[in-house]
Amino acid sequence: MTMDMSRYLGLFLTEASEHLEGLGRDLVQLEREGAPAVVDSMFRHAHSVKGMASSMGFESIAVVAHRVEDLVDAIRQDPAKLERSLVDLLLSATDVMLAQVRAVSESKPPDDASSLLGQLAEKVSAVTGRTPGATRVINQAKASPPAAPAPVTAAARVSPQAVEAPPPPASEPAAEARVAAVVPPSEEGAAKTAKRWAVRLRIAPTCQTPGVRAFLVHKRLTGLGTLHGLQPPLEDLKAGRIPEGNIQVELETAEGEEAIRKALRNVAEVELVSLKPAVVAPPPAPVPAASGLVPAEAPRASNSADATARTVRVRTELLDYFLDTVGELLLATARLRELGKVLPENSRPPIEEGVYRLHTLVKDLHDKVMSARMTPLSLITDRLPRAARDIARRREREVDLVITGAEIELDRAILDELADPLLHLLRNCIDHGLESPEDRVAAGKGARGRVLVSVRRARDRVVVEMEDDGRGMNAAKLKTAAVARGALSAEAAARMTDREAFMLACLPGVSTAQDVSEISGRGVGMDAVKRVVENVGGTLEIESELGRGTRFTLRLPLTVAVVHLLLVAVGDEVFGLPIAKVVGAMEADSERLDRSREMPLLPHGQGLLPVYGLDELTGVQAPPRKGVRPFVVMEGDAGRVALAVDGLVGQEEAVLKPLSRPLDLLPGLSGVTILGSGRPVFILDVPRLLSA
Amino acid sequence: MRHVIFRVEKERYGLPLAAVKEVVVPPERFTRVPRAPAAVTGVMNLRGRVVTVVELRQLLGLPDGPTPSGRVVLLERGRRDLGLLVTDVDGIEAVERVSAAPGKAVPAVRGVARLKGVAVTVLDPEGLDSAVVGLFTAAQQK
Amino acid sequence: MVVSAALSGPFAEAELHMAKRVLVVDDAIFMRNMIKDIFASGGFEVVGEAANGLEAVEKYKDLKPDLTTMDIVMPFKSGIEATREIIKYDANAVVIMCSALGQESLVMEAIEAGASDFIVKPFRAEDVLAVVKKVLGEG
Repeated sequence: MTMDMSRYLGLFLTEASEHLEGLGRDLVQLEREGAPAVVDSMFRHAHSVKGMASSMGFESIAVVAHRVEDLVDAIRQDPAKLERSLVDLLLSATDVMLAQVRAVSESKPPDDASSLLGQLAEKVSAVTGRTPGATRVINQAKASPPAAPAPVTAAARVSPQAVEAPPPPASEPAAEARVAAVVPPSEEGAAKTAKRWAVRLRIAPTCQTPGVRAFLVHKRLTGLGTLHGLQPPLEDLKAGRIPEGNIQVELETAEGEEAIRKALRNVAEVELVSLKPAVVAPPPAPVPAASGLVPAEAPRASNSADATARTVRVRTELLDYFLDTVGELLLATARLRELGKVLPENSRPPIEEGVYRLHTLVKDLHDKVMSARMTPLSLITDRLPRAARDIARRREREVDLVITGAEIELDRAILDELADPLLHLLRNCIDHGLESPEDRVAAGKGARGRVLVSVRRARDRVVVEMEDDGRGMNAAKLKTAAVARGALSAEAAARMTDREAFMLACLPGVSTAQDVSEISGRGVGMDAVKRVVENVGGTLEIESELGRGTRFTLRLPLTVAVVHLLLVAVGDEVFGLPIAKVVGAMEADSERLDRSREMPLLPHGQGLLPVYGLDELTGVQAPPRKGVRPFVVMEGDAGRVALAVDGLVGQEEAVLKPLSRPLDLLPGLSGVTILGSGRPVFILDVPRLLSA
Repeated sequence: MRHVIFRVEKERYGLPLAAVKEVVVPPERFTRVPRAPAAVTGVMNLRGRVVTVVELRQLLGLPDGPTPSGRVVLLERGRRDLGLLVTDVDGIEAVERVSAAPGKAVPAVRGVARLKGVAVTVLDPEGLDSAVVGLFTAAQQK
Repeated sequence: MVVSAALSGPFAEAELHMAKRVLVVDDAIFMRNMIKDIFASGGFEVVGEAANGLEAVEKYKDLKPDLTTMDIVMPFKSGIEATREIIKYDANAVVIMCSALGQESLVMEAIEAGASDFIVKPFRAEDVLAVVKKVLGEG
């Protein structure tokens, strides 16, 4: 049988990368704990990669994986064989395989890694006393892989009793995300005895009082039987904290399916998403004997929710496309509404009614697309342990990294932006925050430093905290450095609280100043971290105590979708300023302002604010203005500033679009949006405009 | 190979058909881009997408002068939304023999060809792309 | 006020069956009239009105309506108290609370007391009718 393996390439790329990342994580953990379960998991990862690579005909990857499998197996037989040099070798093998997979994804032949293979073979002989065996690789044109079932089974992660899904059209390399799909109810619930049902409900997004709606549903359900594992919990439900309006619960009842449906059917604004018999504690998926291609998913965190929802994979680009298209639909709807306004009075109601319905539907679709884009933070935090190990080893630090709450979800777009900042923060914590083991002991601390990454939901935000128990930051030093750099006046520095002073570390230049980075550390790229966090609509806070440690707090929106803007006019142009950063607006006669070293100063509250012309900052020409004009007061990196504008246009809730190439190369822009009139408007990143 | 042939004032240019997404009429006014290099005319809203429009003559380092704007040639560059402001689009023609262009080599120019007795400067999509990126990076460093 | 054509037309579905009988309880005449108009447009028959909780319980026992709309904050006896008594008298009574934003906890109390559903002021005719029809199993 001839098989076209190219259609599985997309899956191979994702799955193999996942296994290799898992292998890397396991290795780091193994070195710390040496638990047998970790070794088993490593073996499975290596084995899977070998199986997949050989099925695809990627010999060079399969051989490396085979050697790794040999070595892991040796550790499995005799844990005493585990030593640091072996872990190092396995880690480099993992990196090489990741690079090979990446090469494949770019349609290049994977590197043959001959020098690494030599080392691996040598190690295998040394550890097992045997010469490494040959690796069987399928010539992909010839036959289906041996010991591999039809690769179709690789398409979906399926709970034991669920139906097979067709493979997704993954013929080209692409990042993928998982999207939950719902399995239709499969059997009629005609049982007389109490039975468990998995119920998923959704409160309509247009509902004004989701809390009360949810409470009403809860009451209906308790009228039918006993509830288990209500998500969100009752307190959150009552308070209306229902992400995306989704509610799930298991209902134990003697009532049949029809009775449950009926009880829920007569509640307005609530949609029964799915109702199906619950699977109580699904048995761990056994590894099928013939699973050379893809092993069954390790039963990690299988709870009832996983059992009820089946996942298929969707390419991220497809999700982006959905979001773009829905954005266009929203825009089209808004224009339709505008058009409706010019119609004669008597023909308006039906149009308005239609537009209202359309708007509701599109909003609903938008919400669904947004929720499909939600991805757990583990996608990026999973890389941190490996990075922590590498940084710590290089700097001769010892560190325990603890990550909690990584299952919490965020919009994929924000997540992608966040990967580098988190790594920067981690590097800062270990590189500069943590003292050497000797210094720690001298300071009465344990020799091993600790970095804690915790993620939690707080209302409509996700809070990511990263804290170390190192030496802390020195506010006085930061102030001195900022003053020396001319970023801050001495008086302003004297008035600053410590908390404000820590934020000085995010000023470009200040953070990287030699004297600061040696003593209080925080330097590399803190300005970049702050910028990225703010550009996705989040905030960054720093708390620190000398000798005790430092905590970075990132508060992030769940989605990038909507920003609140103040629209201002400069000449013929309109710009958006994020309202979160706007302190206020006022009018003043610009010619009568006081000046200091040429810089006009605007009286505001007790003090004077530096005034910048937004025309100059943006490079947009505007006719010169005399007399009274509006000023917008905003938070800048080094205190408040006043922006001279030509007019205040209004406020707007806008769907933020990221900047595509080449616009993203320009400093001072954080995004672009399209107004109801169809006009594109740039959203300004004022601190960056001021510094760049 | 089939090329889209267009004019900037009197000079003729060609881009491979596969590199062109579509040709559109420019809007009455463009939204100006803060701190953008001078070659950037601005951005326009094309069915909900924000497209950056660049003047070809400045991109090729030709002497300054406003392009009488007739059409925007939208490039097919993955998720990049980039358009070239040109005077007019003549049509689609097969361009065969491309010979080296006279003068200094520019990455955006692949060469010249003769089409019905008239010279056509054949552009290189990748080169154009990197010329635009170069323009923006240079502007940032200023 | 926009009323969906399908509900107000001459062949509105509800008019084909026997009209459902409604008791409207609110201390404000304005609100009662508005609610009455909404029900009329949806093909319901408003059989009685009450201006406070005490009156509501009496009228209920008297009229046995298919549906009662109940304001929450009223003199003499609150809507929640009245609901509790009506449910005690007739466990199958359908009482729909009329609430405003910010009264969430009171509505939950009413639901605990046995209210079937709720609507939120300011009312839109189609929203009210949608809730009512759902509750009566017609939606």
